Amino acid sequence: MTAWPDGAVEYVQAVADTKLVLGQRNAQWALAGPSLEDNIGSASTAQDEFGHVRQLNRLLANQGRSEDWLAGNRQPTEFNNAASLDDVTDGWTTYIGSAAPTDRAAWYLLDAINHEDFGGMIDKIGEDEYFHLSYHDAMLETLATDEPETLQYVLEETLPDVLAFIGPAIYDSKTDPLYQAGFTVQPITALRESFRDHYRSLFNGTSVSVKEVDWEVPTANTWDAYRRRMDSGSVSSALVEQLSGARNEGFVE
Amino acid sequence: MKIESMIYVVFARIEAGDSVKHVGELKARTDRLAKLYACTTYDEENWNYLSIVKQKDLLEVHDGKLEPSELPSIEQGENA
Repeated sequence: MTAWPDGAVEYVQAVADTKLVLGQRNAQWALAGPSLEDNIGSASTAQDEFGHVRQLNRLLANQGRSEDWLAGNRQPTEFNNAASLDDVTDGWTTYIGSAAPTDRAAWYLLDAINHEDFGGMIDKIGEDEYFHLSYHDAMLETLATDEPETLQYVLEETLPDVLAFIGPAIYDSKTDPLYQAGFTVQPITALRESFRDHYRSLFNGTSVSVKEVDWEVPTANTWDAYRRRMDSGSVSSALVEQLSGARNEGFVE
Repeated sequence: MKIESMIYVVFARIEAGDSVKHVGELKARTDRLAKLYACTTYDEENWNYLSIVKQKDLLEVHDGKLEPSELPSIEQGENA
């Protein structure tokens, strides 16, 4: 097990934390979705995400992260999840409009990794993500017909935060440090372009447009490279308490 | 305008050569969602084959026989 290049641990940490919060959001909707089938899908997706986090945390622990800290014993501002997941409480359209692009961004960041430590893990995660992303796209298409104005609003609010999670527009093949170090096989600019093109294509022909989204963020001045976001926000203390399982400690022998 | 849900009937087979069986139903608003719901809702087996069809597209054969109106008429010839 070799040490990863500078910045790689934070990169993977951000993906792991995002998947952890994604799993929690999916679980929150597992009993509250619009249909039984959506509830079952949310529960299945949550289970997959927690499995991905477990695998990523194993690698992060090998790179020096404390297992106790990884398990959730930290402050809310120490979670480096995508800002798009900080507060997802307004309803199904807000949840899908936030979770779907965030899940896709997390997959793009993982899929770009090329390091022996990850072995076949990313391929296995990709098999799960194929279904997650297909479901999200199918639901976004449906919501673009059912609730175009709400979805439009959510996407204009959420996509800039997801772009910050992916990384800044200045990180091209010459300036992206992890691409230069060989840790990733695609620079951030390529991931951003794929991400933008996907949603332009998905919503083509619907009443929803992503033209008004600020596709240029974040700039170098507005980007927190450690937390991969533009603000100083975080998930709530209540969510961190749920993630840590502190309330259920009495049931563990 | 909200897309209405439709009922889909789900069929599956565990191993090649087995009979394809009716394993249940699900509701979905689009074919794409229906296929995905089938994967997550009916993942109790590692299916060799899984398919869905809208319930409204199922053609019922009454009592295993064709309706009299569906039988070819002698006046029209056997190829009618």
